[in-house]
Parts: sequence; C-alpha cells; structure tokens
Amino acid sequence: MIPEIGYFSLVLAMGLSLLLCIFPLWGAYTGNLRLMRTAPSLAVGQCLLVLFSFGVLIYITLADDFTVAYVAHHSSSTLPWYYKVTSTWGGHEGAILLWLVMQASWTALVAMMSKSLPWVLRARVLGVLGFLGVGFMLYTLWMSSPFERLLPYYPVEGRDLNPLLQDPGMIIHPPLLYMGYVGLSVSFSFAIAALLTGKLDNTWAKWSRPWTMAAWGFLTLGITIGSWWAYSELGWGGWWFWDPVENASLMPWLVATALLHSLAITEKRGVFKSWTVLLAIAAFSLCLLGTFIVRSGIIVSVHAFATDPDRGLFILSFLALVVGGSLALYGLRVSQVYSEGRYKLVSREVGLWVNNIFLVVATLIVLLGTLLPMIHKELGLGSISIGVPFFNQMFAILIVPFAILMGIAPMLRWKQNKLPPLAKKWAAIFVATIVITSAWLFSSFDDISTLTYLATALAVWICIATVVDLVEKVSVHPSTAQGLKRLGMSYWAMVLGHVGIAFVIASVTLTSAYSVERSVVMTKGETATLNEYEYRFEGVNEIRGPNYGGHAGEVTVFKDGEYVTLLHAEKRLYDVGMQFMTEAAIDDGFYRDLYLALGESMGNGAWSLRIYHKPYVRWMWLGGILISLAGFIVLADKRYRRRKQPSVEHA
Amino acid sequence: MNKKFLGLVPLLIFVLLCVFLYQGLFGNPRELQTGRLGHTMPAFELPDLMDERKRWTDQDLLGEVYLLNVWGTWCPTCIAELGYLTELREQGVRIIGLYYEQAYDPDFGDQFDIDYLRADVQQMLSRAGDPYQFNILDLERTLALDLGVSGAPETFLVDKNGKIILHHTGDINPRVWRSKFAPAIQELQP
Repeated sequence: MIPEIGYFSLVLAMGLSLLLCIFPLWGAYTGNLRLMRTAPSLAVGQCLLVLFSFGVLIYITLADDFTVAYVAHHSSSTLPWYYKVTSTWGGHEGAILLWLVMQASWTALVAMMSKSLPWVLRARVLGVLGFLGVGFMLYTLWMSSPFERLLPYYPVEGRDLNPLLQDPGMIIHPPLLYMGYVGLSVSFSFAIAALLTGKLDNTWAKWSRPWTMAAWGFLTLGITIGSWWAYSELGWGGWWFWDPVENASLMPWLVATALLHSLAITEKRGVFKSWTVLLAIAAFSLCLLGTFIVRSGIIVSVHAFATDPDRGLFILSFLALVVGGSLALYGLRVSQVYSEGRYKLVSREVGLWVNNIFLVVATLIVLLGTLLPMIHKELGLGSISIGVPFFNQMFAILIVPFAILMGIAPMLRWKQNKLPPLAKKWAAIFVATIVITSAWLFSSFDDISTLTYLATALAVWICIATVVDLVEKVSVHPSTAQGLKRLGMSYWAMVLGHVGIAFVIASVTLTSAYSVERSVVMTKGETATLNEYEYRFEGVNEIRGPNYGGHAGEVTVFKDGEYVTLLHAEKRLYDVGMQFMTEAAIDDGFYRDLYLALGESMGNGAWSLRIYHKPYVRWMWLGGILISLAGFIVLADKRYRRRKQPSVEHA
Repeated sequence: MNKKFLGLVPLLIFVLLCVFLYQGLFGNPRELQTGRLGHTMPAFELPDLMDERKRWTDQDLLGEVYLLNVWGTWCPTCIAELGYLTELREQGVRIIGLYYEQAYDPDFGDQFDIDYLRADVQQMLSRAGDPYQFNILDLERTLALDLGVSGAPETFLVDKNGKIILHHTGDINPRVWRSKFAPAIQELQP
C-alpha cells in the first residue's frame, strides 16, 4: 500500500506540474494576471508532493520492503542505514527520482525567491520549469517507476547495493552533481522566458546570474568530489579518465563557466546578448545530452546504467523537443537583438569574449571526442576509439593561452585600455613568475622537464597576477580595510575561481609528472622504500564488516626513521553477490598522498602490495573547492537579495 | 536575412546530432568493427604460456579454421565462458588461447612471476574446463594491440588462410554461437 501512495503522489505532482506549465504561460501570453499568479503555489505544491514521494521511497528502503523491485535489486537487510538511504539513488529509477526531487526543489526555490520579478517574466520562468518537470515525471511514471512491485513472488533478501557504491562518495557525489545539472535548468528557463518575452535586456542577465552561479558552484563541487572518489577507488582510472560520463559532466561545466562570464558582460555592458542566451540553452542541453548518454547505453562507459532502447528513445525525444524547440525559438528571435555597447580591442569585453571562445572550443573537443566514435561507426567507417592521449594533448594546447589570459584579463577595464602601462606590469609579473616557479621546482624535484616547468609557471602566473590585481584594486582606496570592503562579491568570486584553477593546473601537472608507484611482495616485518618513505609490512588480519568479510593489511610508514602513519588497506568480499572490492589506504597530506593497495596472498604469509607516492594531488580538490566557493559567495552579494520591489507588476 | 540564417545554425547542427543519436540508440556499442576485419593475422612470434622454449608464429596456425580467444584468469567473464568453449572443443572446434596478463605492466618494469601464473592457469583450467589446444602468452601485448583487442574476453574467427572473419567482444554463449559464429563457419566450409 505504501509504495502505491508514493506513486500516486508523483501522479498528483505531475498534474500540478502540467498546470504549472499551462496556466502561467497562457496567462503571460494573454496578459491574464490571475493565471500568472497561480504559478508560485503550483510550484511549491508539486515540490511538496515530489518530496513526499521520495520520502516514501526512503521509508520502504529502510523498512526492507523487498516486494518492491527497486528495493530488492538495490538494497539488502544487512546494509547499514545510511547506505540504504544512498541506495535510493544507486539505481536508475531512484536516480531519476532524485533528479525529480532536485528539479522540483529548484522550481519551488525560484517561485519563493523571485518575488521582485515582473509577473510576466516570473510566470514564464516557472512555466518553463513546470514543462521540464512534466517531462521527467512522465518518464518516471511511465518508464522507470521505482515503486514497481515484485508480486506475487518476491525475494526474502535483497541483492544489496553494488559494493562499489557503498562509499561516502556515493552519499554526496550524485546529489551535488544533480543539484548542478538541474540548477542549470533555471538559467535555461530564464533564457527561454526572456526569448518568449522578446526582451533580452540586461535585467534578464542580472536575474539569471545568481542562479547560474549557484548551479555552477554545485556542479563544480559535484565534479570535484567525483574526481576525488574515483581517485580513492582502485581501478576506476584515477582522478580523471575522460570516460564518456565524466565528459558528460565536464561539458555543461565548461559551457556554464563560459555562461557566467558572458552573463557578467551582458549584465554590465549590454553586449553579447544573443550569445549569452545561446550559452544558457547550450549548458542545460548538454546536461540533458549527458543524461541521454548515461541512461541509453549508447556509449560504453564504466558509469553506464542498464540499457533499454525504450528509455533511451524517450529521453532522446524529450531532448529533441526541449533543445530543438528552444533553438528554434532562438533562431526566430535572435535577429531582433542588437548590441548596445561599443568597445575597443584591448578591453575587458574582448578578454571575456576570448575566454568564451576557449571554453566553447574545449567543450567542442570533449563533445567530438565523446561522440565521434559513435558517429564514425554509424557512418559505416568502422570502430575507432578516442582515448585519454587525445584529450590530454588537446587540453594541454588549449590551457596555455587560456591560463595566460586568465592572469591578465581581470586587469583590463571595460571599453578600452592603453597598452604600454599594462605591458610594463605584465613584464614584472612574468619575471616574478619565473623566479617563484624556479625556486619552487628546483627545491622540490630533481628532474624537471620543459613541459612541467611551463605548466607550473602558468599556475604561478595566474596566482601572482590575481594577487597583484587584488592589491592594486585595494590600494586605490585610502585604507586597506575600506578597500577590501569596497570590492564586490563577484570580484572575490573571480579571485577564488582563478586561484582555484591555478591550484588545479599545478596539481595536475605535478602529480602527473612526479607520481611514482612500486609493486612489492612482502612478508610480515619486511620493509620497502619509495622516495623518502620507508614502508614496513605488519601482516594481514581477517576482518568482518556488517555485510562483508575479508582481509586487512597494515603497513607502518617511516620517514628518516620517524613514524609517519599506519596504513590500513582492505580486500573485502561482500556476502551478497560474492563480489571482491579493494579498499585502498590513503594517507593524505598537503604536499603528497601515500596510497596503498592490498593485492593477492602469495602463500607463506607473503602478500603482494602496491605503493604509490603522489605529490600535490590534494591541490586538485582544494582547487575544486575554491572554485565552487566562488559560485556560492556571489549569492551573498547584496544586489541579488533585494526584497520585493514596489509596483513592478504590469501585464 | 543573413542574421536570421545564422540564428538557425545551432538548430540545424542539433538536428543532425539527433539523427546520429537516434541511430546510435539501436546500434550496439559493444559490437566492434575492427580495422583488421578481412585482413590476415598480423605476423608474430610469441612463447607458449606453459613452456617459454616453445615459440609460436602466425605461420604455425595456418591450414585450419580456428578461434583465437583472448582471456585471463583475472577476468570473471572469461572464466564463465570456459565451460561452453570446452563443449565447443569437444564438438571439434579448434580454439587457441591468447593469454592477456592484466597485472603486468611492462612500462613500470614490474616483477613478474611466470611460475605463479602457470599454476594459477592450470588450476583454473582443471576446475572450469580447458578448451584450448594451446595458449600463447602475449606479455608485452604486441599481438593484442595489432589485433585491436580492447579487453577480455574477445574472440576472433580466423580461416585456414589466416584471414580474420569475425571479431567478437564479450562472452561466447550458445545464443552468440548460433547467431554469429555457426553461420560464419558454415560459409567457410566448401
């Protein structure tokens, strides 16, 4: 009975969403204020119903109701409670329900926090969000209900959550990523509403900006945590593998990054309006495309869910309708848009424009690399594979001009600049970069290749240039405190974001160049050395967890005879499904990670072990966190939190 | 007019993309069209898995239709198909193994224990069934690379002149055999 209530609640939610899609849009079209006014309550109503439905799924999972197919396939009675909750998004049906929860929540948030918007715009934004909600709800109810029963023959025990997913990463990675994906649907809705209204002025950009920043912040955090998780699981290809599904999350991120820079120009200067709208449409379209890639089985990937052409066909149709429809609308309306501002070659406008070009080119590279193997095959040209080297090389080429520009572009002013004084400043920063990079690298590493040096210098360049600019902007004010106060939140976001990228570049460079690993066979008490660390094997013990058994190996690490840490690596055998899992032991540090994986027993108490030493790998996720903070602090900007404006309601 | 057309360009690109995505939906991404299909076996000289003094070359394999099965004891699907492959051997199909060692990475100069591997293979084959006439050890993965192997298990059907007729990724089961291999072998018989 209870699962059916969950299903029914979703049906009601879809009904409200349908009304949310029809009433406000019709009202905005005919100028009927009463119809437009229904939007906020419908948005909140459908959100509550979806949340209730999700609550039901969590409840039946916690209650081990194995008559429900989803619970029987993705949970078991021995699973700890927090992984039971996690299992509600561990499979396809539940993951889509989580997506719905996010969609419904963003819609309700927009409804509650858009009180100062003109009603025509507010109604249209919510109407478009309602339309998206209907699409996903229809899909859930029709093709992938997590409430389907296994009656009359149901199992007494569930198949358990895939051991690979029984990890803290699984608890936070998908919700954050979905927050980001779905959040971009808000930017999308603002863009469509602006196109429908036909008023692509900078008010639109101003309203869309905080939502885009928030969504982008979540997306960044989601990707960062995904990268960290893939790194800590053995055999997942490390922190980034250019897997199609990783690419599917990177593409919206790149376009969203371009979008929030472009939104800044449109808001401040009223230029690039049609381009900004196109980016907003593209960002969400790529989220949908990513979903299609993951859910349809069109591409072989480690992440791919069970394949089903019917489901793929539905998502593709929805994708075609949403993206095709919005691009058609864009095509019809864009010819009426004219730029207002004028600017010269050396100006912030051009700097941001070049930034957009780079980001879009990067997106196209990822898109082509991901889809080309499939297109190539469909054209009958045979199977090809595009792998890690292609992406690495392309990004290595792109990052050089991009990073140079990232350092200096923030110093440019709007409209135009005089080049000579700037060039003098850049020369000084260049010298400082060479000095600091040389000091850093030559004191830490022995063997430094040109490429490593260049890439590290890029990271240092960005940091110095950003700090110099910060100091200059503060020093024009009489006192430092006053200067710091006068800098806007979006400026701080820029500082955090750019420094974050510098951290990521430095980390990727140094960890790729200087990671070392060693495979050893050791018996208890034996030692092995890797770099300046000494590893002593302390033997293997049997272990028993709530739903698994196995072995745990312990290794004491010493540096110059001093105790550093005790590494505890496990090899688990899960009871249900008899699946092996290797839990690596990681000692994380600011400058290096020590990583240990337990291999096979070689007999006579000897075990094979793999030891890794990865310098600066933490900086990657530190950088990712800094970047996502950039997305969140903009929300603190007072300009975006104005209360209700008086008398803006006109229809 | 010009500007109007420009505005529709994204839509046109998207429509084209959708056509490919639609086609891809009904294709099988695991179906590989290898570059070597229709070509002859690449030349090689590799040791026998069980005896490194015995060396096999592409010339030794000519004269009879055979299956080249890429496998390893580390690969659960490979183990799962051993039983059915053994049945096929009993029906007279000639199966040659190409042993693909995953744990060994030549780039890192890993230590490699061949005796341990042999014992492991022996034990696995006596337990799950031994379909192989013999096994070729491709430690450096040169042959696997030349053949376009993307993982394990993969199976090639090669005719008596050394021409590659089929490249199958994934396991061989009765369904795959009936629908794919049996007809192809039928065609090879005069």
